[in-house]
Amino acid sequence: MSENLLEIADGILEKAQLAAAEFHQFNQEQTDKIVESVFKAGFNCRVNLAKMAHEETGMGVWEHKVIKNVLATQLVYESIKDEKTVGVIAYNTHTGIAEIAQPLGPILAVIPVTNPTSTVMFKILICLKSRNPIIISSHRGASKSCAEAVRICYEAALSAGAPEDCIQMISSGSREFTQIMMAHSKIALILATGGTGLVKAAYSSGNPAIGVGPGNVPVFIDESADIPFAVTNIISSKTFDNGTICASEQAIVMVKSIEEEVIAEFRRQSCYFLTSEEMNKVEKIAIVSETGSMSPQVVGQSVQTIAKLADLQVPEGTKILIARPEGIGKDYPLSGEILAPILAFYSAKDYGSAINYCIDLNYLGGIGHSACIYSNNEKRIMDYAELLNAGRILVNTPTSQGAVGMLFNQLPPSLTLGCGTGGKNITTENITAKNLLNIQRVCRRKPNDLWFSFDQSKYFDESLVADDIITDYYKNH
Amino acid sequence: MVIFEYNSTEKAITVIFKGRIDYIAAGELNEIIQTEPLIKNRNPEDKIIFDIGEVEYIASSFIRICVIHAKQAGSGKFSIINCQPFVKKTFKISGLDEMLNIS
Repeated sequence: MSENLLEIADGILEKAQLAAAEFHQFNQEQTDKIVESVFKAGFNCRVNLAKMAHEETGMGVWEHKVIKNVLATQLVYESIKDEKTVGVIAYNTHTGIAEIAQPLGPILAVIPVTNPTSTVMFKILICLKSRNPIIISSHRGASKSCAEAVRICYEAALSAGAPEDCIQMISSGSREFTQIMMAHSKIALILATGGTGLVKAAYSSGNPAIGVGPGNVPVFIDESADIPFAVTNIISSKTFDNGTICASEQAIVMVKSIEEEVIAEFRRQSCYFLTSEEMNKVEKIAIVSETGSMSPQVVGQSVQTIAKLADLQVPEGTKILIARPEGIGKDYPLSGEILAPILAFYSAKDYGSAINYCIDLNYLGGIGHSACIYSNNEKRIMDYAELLNAGRILVNTPTSQGAVGMLFNQLPPSLTLGCGTGGKNITTENITAKNLLNIQRVCRRKPNDLWFSFDQSKYFDESLVADDIITDYYKNH
Repeated sequence: MVIFEYNSTEKAITVIFKGRIDYIAAGELNEIIQTEPLIKNRNPEDKIIFDIGEVEYIASSFIRICVIHAKQAGSGKFSIINCQPFVKKTFKISGLDEMLNIS
């Protein structure tokens, strides 16, 4: 079985490498023409692909998946179309260093079930812009819609002159095959978007990988915030595609003095506060008790479906279920990440305690991902940013739509959000085309005058200490 | 600066710290804590609580002191209270926050 899988992997990578060889010769104009063609084709199918993904996965809201597809095509294209990714991309006349962009080679792109077609199109665009062939490995729960997105993009790429096999898809099969692909010597990079296990497997493969981390996004509503505005934004974000974006809000924190106002606003805007008995019911269906992680049966589901699963009666039109766990950690299951319209809610006695709650939430499985503050107090905003370990600190912004960039801020639009070393990633950036290039630096001779005018024999005189040497080294004759 | 208090109802020794606990201060504080009769003659049932509400900086040597006292106190008998966010983050980064039972 394994030998057979190895042969299949060899065949795919052989094709990908041939595509890489051809792609390497393309100039910027040819590359950009392909990217434009793929953007248009993907964009034109945004609605159909969204509906397919929704139908196949049973997750989210198709209209919101349309918006994700728009982000992944139109906004990603807008952000990369004028970027130089071929040949000399920069020259610094002062240092004499020229930078040349080179493609990496075949990229294995792992696609999550939560954002399938959008992540496929996003990764294809950034790979093609950097002249890298891409091999899509989709989640088995979204293989049909991903295959359709791949077909559309590939045909568009070929029609614009792209190399044959520049986009391939492996049938979502066994974990063994994915691991064989990840560890294959001809893979240049793995773009791993998915759960912790998958990302760890990618990093353990021996090949370079860009991964993501899990989120557990705290939202601090400061006393200076516009509370109705904050609540409206939180709801629009947490209900976006039923909370499937890993940057979606997980817990709301505030000081006691504004608690009643915040609760009233959430209630006014059709959110439902669970009783402790109801909270226990939701815990049972939303969290896998053995692992403490979220249950797949609630991911991307509506409040109504979740209520039915938990045997709850909630008012019609309820947008979000809000629980009030008494603490944060393993003993309080709803304090962790749940990609569904369920929020935890904490009221603290004072500002310091509220920030401590946010720190605890942040460190409960969401280090390096995203955090949010609603405030009009600049000092508190910057203090919050300093205290939280998050790649993205979103200010007065819905986190789902804010973290992915370009909608509410000028972050690069991306469906792969780096979480830094806290999330076991190499970067906190929103991954885009520039992360998929090898940059060569041509370093022309620009002698360091200080070095050459300094009497280097002094380095061998042990009696001279750092201060003696430095004074002499910087002497301006 | 350090103050010791004993609550016989709660069976808890509270050690209240103030100010900046750098490497030198941590060493001095350790001396004071080790020789404090309440600590030296502590009943095994007594809890030890470090109140660091007015502490603005902690050196790694202070975290080590906390760990030593947490171990000496025994499971569930040691806690740190009233942490300022900056100090809380410092404990989080140390990775020792869970064993030190910080609130």
